[in-house]
Amino acid sequence: MTTSTAVIDRLRARIGKDGPPAEATVEAGHLKRFVEAIGDPNPRWAKEAPPTFLVALAPASVHLEEAEEYGKGWLNGGNRFEYFEPVKVGDRITATGRVADVYEKTGSSGSLLFIIFETDYINQEGRKVASLRGTAIRR
Amino acid sequence: MTLKVGDALPELVKHPTTRQLVRYAGAQGDFYEIHYDQAFAQSVGLPGVILHGLLKAGFLGQLVTDWLGDRGTLTSFEVSYRGIDQPGRPYSCRGRVTKVEGDQVELEVWGEDSTGNRTTVGTATLEMKG
Repeated sequence: MTTSTAVIDRLRARIGKDGPPAEATVEAGHLKRFVEAIGDPNPRWAKEAPPTFLVALAPASVHLEEAEEYGKGWLNGGNRFEYFEPVKVGDRITATGRVADVYEKTGSSGSLLFIIFETDYINQEGRKVASLRGTAIRR
Repeated sequence: MTLKVGDALPELVKHPTTRQLVRYAGAQGDFYEIHYDQAFAQSVGLPGVILHGLLKAGFLGQLVTDWLGDRGTLTSFEVSYRGIDQPGRPYSCRGRVTKVEGDQVELEVWGEDSTGNRTTVGTATLEMKG
């Protein structure tokens, strides 16, 4: 347990600190590939981003290398999106992510490490268009 | 059309394949091997490659936006992944209205595997046009 405690302490030290911002432009071709991969033929997505597209524009959760010392694999526990404005083709989005919380849970199948991420998405006019909260799990 | 609590969304059935997982991995930029490399997936204790949680969220997003159309706006969308899903098996997306307060509407949505097990559960909040 000494090792996992050390990993958790190092991850906890990152809570609340913004990671480097990632910038990307919403491109029609990327939207098309994204909705084709989901199999969503709605013509609306030629110009506008569907509900989960922002995760393709910037990483939804940073797979922190140091967390990989814990357990053997990653699982996605959940995602929560909040939407403030539509995201359209041509928008220049800046995503800034941070670790919001880190905790360990021990259940019947062993221990799990939960890492809660938050990402804010800001458009070219400086307005927050969406935010995302994600739970990444090491098992 | 007036919405009321209990109204069901039309079911959306998906038939994910490993090919679709590879396409989705490329489109999202998530190249974690559990989604396309059988040997890797098994090495971390999975029965084989599994669907991306966010692909299942994408399916549920489609369920909601297909039904909603231009009648309103999605204001939040939350999904929890409770179980794994493998390609080659149908995945059914369903939902129902759980709350109507003026123009504020809440939905419960979920994805079921072929045995009826709810492997993804979630909620969506909507602001309807007046």
